[in-house]
Amino acid sequence: MPMTDALLSSVEQLFSLATLVSMMIGVVAGVIAAAIPGFTVTMAIVLTLPVTFSMPPLQGVATMLAVYVGGCSGGLISAALLGIPGTPSSVATTFDAYPMARNGEPGRALGLGIWASFFGALVSAIVLIIAAPPLALIAVKLGPWEYFSLILFAITVVASLVGKSILKGLMMSLLGLFIATVGQDPMMGVPRFTFGVDVLAAGFPFLVVLIGIFAVSQLAGEVENPAELHQGQALIRGTLHFQPLAVMREVLSRPLNLLRSSMVGVVIGAVPGAGGSIANLIAYDQAKRASKTPERFGTGIADGVVASESGNSATAGGGLIPMIALGIPGSAVDAVLMAALMVQGISVGPRLIMDNADLVYGMFLAMFLAAVMVLVFCLLSMRWFLRITAIPKSIIVPVVLVCCAVGALALNNRITDLYLLIGVGLVGYLLAKLDYPLAPLVLGVILGPIAETNLRRALMADEDWTLFFTRPISAGLLVLAVLSVAFTVRRILRQRKRMAAQA
Amino acid sequence: MSDQSEAASHSGREVSSERGRALANVMFNAALAVFFVTLFIQAGELPSSMWEPLGAGSFPRLVLGALVVFNLAIMAQSTAAFRRADRTASVGVGRWFLQRRLAFATLAAFALYALLMPWIGFALASLVFLLAVQVILGARRGRRLLVAVIVAVVCSLGLYALFSHVFLISLPPGRLW
Repeated sequence: MPMTDALLSSVEQLFSLATLVSMMIGVVAGVIAAAIPGFTVTMAIVLTLPVTFSMPPLQGVATMLAVYVGGCSGGLISAALLGIPGTPSSVATTFDAYPMARNGEPGRALGLGIWASFFGALVSAIVLIIAAPPLALIAVKLGPWEYFSLILFAITVVASLVGKSILKGLMMSLLGLFIATVGQDPMMGVPRFTFGVDVLAAGFPFLVVLIGIFAVSQLAGEVENPAELHQGQALIRGTLHFQPLAVMREVLSRPLNLLRSSMVGVVIGAVPGAGGSIANLIAYDQAKRASKTPERFGTGIADGVVASESGNSATAGGGLIPMIALGIPGSAVDAVLMAALMVQGISVGPRLIMDNADLVYGMFLAMFLAAVMVLVFCLLSMRWFLRITAIPKSIIVPVVLVCCAVGALALNNRITDLYLLIGVGLVGYLLAKLDYPLAPLVLGVILGPIAETNLRRALMADEDWTLFFTRPISAGLLVLAVLSVAFTVRRILRQRKRMAAQA
Repeated sequence: MSDQSEAASHSGREVSSERGRALANVMFNAALAVFFVTLFIQAGELPSSMWEPLGAGSFPRLVLGALVVFNLAIMAQSTAAFRRADRTASVGVGRWFLQRRLAFATLAAFALYALLMPWIGFALASLVFLLAVQVILGARRGRRLLVAVIVAVVCSLGLYALFSHVFLISLPPGRLW
């Protein structure tokens, strides 16, 4: 059985000095990035991508996973010490970690969050290992009809979960699908929509779109308000006292909360488009509902910190499930990971686990390794956290913009990519201001070629297009797609009615 | 969301951002619709294939067609929102941009940076850009200015050295020298 061979090979690749060092740097970068308000995990991962081009595939992906897992924990630092979520995934962490820190226990708040993150990541990695391979075995048997319907379903879910308007969400997904058609057609190689521009001949440079949307436009949004630029007046003073082992026992004494929040994180992470930013709120809400003392939530209790942090960290493994098993990214971050593999010439889809078993096992192991690294790094460096969160935006924004420029140049070393980056950044900024969600666009771009190839393959195999509706799995997925749109429309209409009633 | 605009108009001095937003949405989607229709027509010229019922143009046409439908739907929705919003309130385009002047100034600096880079090279362009943006964002004097200078020097030269020596990615050296 080649499985043990693959496992050994992945261990060998992962535990090489170069990989361990780059993962460690990734963990540090992820924690720091997420700790700084205004610098998101997605930004950090997008900017790590160009650095991984020169690495072997597993080292590259492991480094990016390290940034990801680190980022899942880092957000709690500013949430606990400043009361500002360092990333959207740690909004619920501010509810209890910040009051706890203000009550004179900043060390305990951070410790609880760090351990909860660690166990959340651990649980999600275990679920990933159990769930992904069998799901891939099922997915390989799907025909192009089912696959196309699955992508339609994924797109409608993303569009309905993100943003305020489903019309805008769906339009952005479609725009993403269209952007993906620029360049060579996937079956015949005919150039499309290149307008005679050389840069577009190989397609719209995906990395540039990613950096423009997730970094440049977000950074522009960060500097809007002059009053917020000089942030970082830490409200917590004095030294951080903390006992790692006592806090660990405190976290483990809440096994139900820990497990429930982690599973919430895994499931939400696996749903395309939903990620840590939703998971932490739902996990917190569920913990509050299940608690015997719900009124104490928000006053600085351990349960709130544990729920939020294990919930958001568990999305890391959850998001990888559909990516590894189906080739459909569970979140924007997974889309970037998928892009990293594609740049390395590895095709991501249900066959990934069979064709590149060593890589997939390596990713599993890297999740564990990264979780341990984050734990060790956070516990050792806790006393410097206050300083990290004090870096003002007036320094962060220009420095990260320069990193964006490097990222855009790294792939082809073309100055035109840089101009394109600014264009995408400006358009992304204006779109965000008009309430157009950007995540569906990115998922559309990455799913576009897969959707088109499967649609055309399906019709090549049989010209009868009704097969999409008569094959049971395909029909079921299409029904789910329609339902996800219908439910969202109903939810939005109800909200409007309620608001109108209140007014 | 119309409630927000009502609340805003009640407070008197506030501009109706809801109205401006609706107007921007209508114009933006109208422009996109025209663009997509043009592309839809162009896509008809893409070759079809003898081996498959769908040629190179079919999928893009499907997507473009759907996009136009969504553009029209959003336009209809926004037009309704525009009508509902308080008419006496100004659209507030000027104020909208003015409020976000720092964001646009940063983006403009980034554009200048990109234009300068091929001529003066990555290291120098980054140095100037880093310093300029930090000054724009408020590091004007004293200790903050000193920090800004240090950050600019370290990051521009540091990143250049890091990428050219460690990651072996060459960044523009500059055409002028």
